[in-house]
Amino acid sequence: MMGRCRLPICLKLGGIKLVGSLPFALYTSSALLCRTAGANSLSLPPANPIADFGRRTWPDCKFHCQRITAFSSSTGDRIGAGCASDSDSHRTEGGYLGLSDEQLMSQCEMETFKASGPGGQHRNKRETAVRLKHRPTGIIAQASEDRSQHKNRASALNRLRALLALKVRRPVDLDAYSPPIELLRILPPKSTVRGSECGPQIKANNPKFVEGMQALLDLIYAVNGSISDAAKFLGISTGALSRLILSDDDLRMAVNELRASKNFLEAVFTVYPLLMLVFGENSPSGSVDCLLEDGTSDS
Amino acid sequence: MMKARCLLRAPYSSSPLVSSTLHRFCKPGNKFASQNHTLAFSSSVSSSSVSPISSSPSPLSSHHKPQVPLFLRPPIYSATLSDLTNFFNWGKTLASSVGSSFEQIDNGPDATLLLRELKWFLDDAVEDSSLILHLGTPQNERFLSMEVRLRAGLDQIYQLWKQRIEERRPLQYIVGCEHWRDLVLSVEEGVLIPRPETEKIVDLVEDVVGKCGVLREGLWVDLGTGSGALAVGIARVLGKSGKLIATDLSPVAVAVARYNVERYGLQGSIEVRQGSWFDPLMDLEGELAGMVSNPPYIPSKDISGLQAEVGKHEPGLALDGGVEGMDHLIYLCMRTSTMLKPGGFFAFETNGEKQCNLLAHYLENAAGSNFRDVSIVSDFAGILRFVTGYRK
Repeated sequence: MMGRCRLPICLKLGGIKLVGSLPFALYTSSALLCRTAGANSLSLPPANPIADFGRRTWPDCKFHCQRITAFSSSTGDRIGAGCASDSDSHRTEGGYLGLSDEQLMSQCEMETFKASGPGGQHRNKRETAVRLKHRPTGIIAQASEDRSQHKNRASALNRLRALLALKVRRPVDLDAYSPPIELLRILPPKSTVRGSECGPQIKANNPKFVEGMQALLDLIYAVNGSISDAAKFLGISTGALSRLILSDDDLRMAVNELRASKNFLEAVFTVYPLLMLVFGENSPSGSVDCLLEDGTSDS
Repeated sequence: MMKARCLLRAPYSSSPLVSSTLHRFCKPGNKFASQNHTLAFSSSVSSSSVSPISSSPSPLSSHHKPQVPLFLRPPIYSATLSDLTNFFNWGKTLASSVGSSFEQIDNGPDATLLLRELKWFLDDAVEDSSLILHLGTPQNERFLSMEVRLRAGLDQIYQLWKQRIEERRPLQYIVGCEHWRDLVLSVEEGVLIPRPETEKIVDLVEDVVGKCGVLREGLWVDLGTGSGALAVGIARVLGKSGKLIATDLSPVAVAVARYNVERYGLQGSIEVRQGSWFDPLMDLEGELAGMVSNPPYIPSKDISGLQAEVGKHEPGLALDGGVEGMDHLIYLCMRTSTMLKPGGFFAFETNGEKQCNLLAHYLENAAGSNFRDVSIVSDFAGILRFVTGYRK
């Protein structure tokens, strides 16, 4: 029924504690895990990147879990879990990014410096930094470079849009995939799926790039981090897609994190049953709330 | 104690206009005359007896030459990058030495804030502000001997920063401008530095004219315009057909407001008139589509405890609101219903929740039920700050 609907992965792994005791070699491929290397205790290191990674994204997604008991190694089968659909705003056309500035702002708590005292005419202390906390996702964006609070508000909102694009994933139906218009607009003109009505290619410095970036990350996520697979859907070469990804630092880092987390999961799931055997009843319990997939290597 | 600084600063302080204006403030029997007679400007609320001297265009306001903000001055000075680095290091040390002492004395800025201000100061003083990024970092000899163009002499730059720390002279007066909303407004001694809270009034007006096109086409008024901040902000929101009159008692403010209006190319939309509150607007009674004001609202007793940047340098005329701080606000409200046309909108900034409540109560009860939709709106810091409404 759900077909090949890809789910965002929630890394609220009960096996977080597991990480600390994994041999270092198993996760050198993942930059995320370097900080936990060598931690032997079963308590979470304070700034656990895995936990953070899980907390920062996909809070509104509901899906049911499967406890992993067996692995399929090379058949290429993908085991998917059901994807409950919410009627949250991010499921609608454009998601959070489709909201107007006013609407998006209303979902935020704005912190300016907590002024002590009555403010207004009493005060001449220009703490113009603005922090926006997006309540539905918990994402925080801030701006302090400008001398006017008004401009910092606008900057923070733009930064929030970029962060929402980078961190909030929406499911994509690969069976019936058609790249949305905002994604087409950021593709190079030679893309075979991009029509001429899309206009000139929107580049990384353009504010509209953010929406395209979100759709691109959704796709890359859905194809499990495979740049070559994503490129096929977009009618461009793997090289061209790589160049597009490299044209924006934030996009590049988000794609790398995505691919690294995929490697991590592969590492974890090959070891998990082993540790079950080793630790027996003392193995960390808790369901593994995530999607199981075998690793298909990138071409 | 508190001098009417704006008037005394003017070169024509012995003129009959000025002394009679001062005289008017202290007029006995004035309902709102302050108990404290040294506060010369607290009783400008009288609408009776003394004929408004300043309703006719005053020739004096054109005598004050507004100062050019630092960032607009030509970069005719220079210094080596090495010299500039020395200044920066000295300035940083001076700022750091303040620590949190200002904060403890009168809730003034701390060292972190002062350091940020130092960078803003250099942003405006140095022609190529990208060089400022290099000031803290080690550089080679050749780079350090490079000449850097400045908008003020290095001596003056030292002196100005010294004033900042030793005299608590506001940065905005030192650089001659304030970044406010999406504007950069010229300010100088004698003119209130526009506050970030006041930015919200422009948003409120934008909402109102968005909902009601008729108000967008009408005549708006900014009472006590100071630097002209609200006038310029609102005129930009009203658009091409916008028409606005800005008034201020202070001739210095009028000159500076006119200068800012010109800088934003709005001479066709904004007229600046000198005078007390509605006195320069008597020809427009009952015709105003909208009225905004950020009148002085600080209770007199609080003036001496203010942060030194404010209390010792900004014009008391723009701050002191009388015993409860409400003298001017009440006066404005008394006249609002006759000045506005039916359906006209008003928005006033206040000292906070207490004044908002008092004012809203007054508007709904004492003012003869002339108003509808009286609302209290909070500022971006969450403090109830503005009272708005419409004339019925």
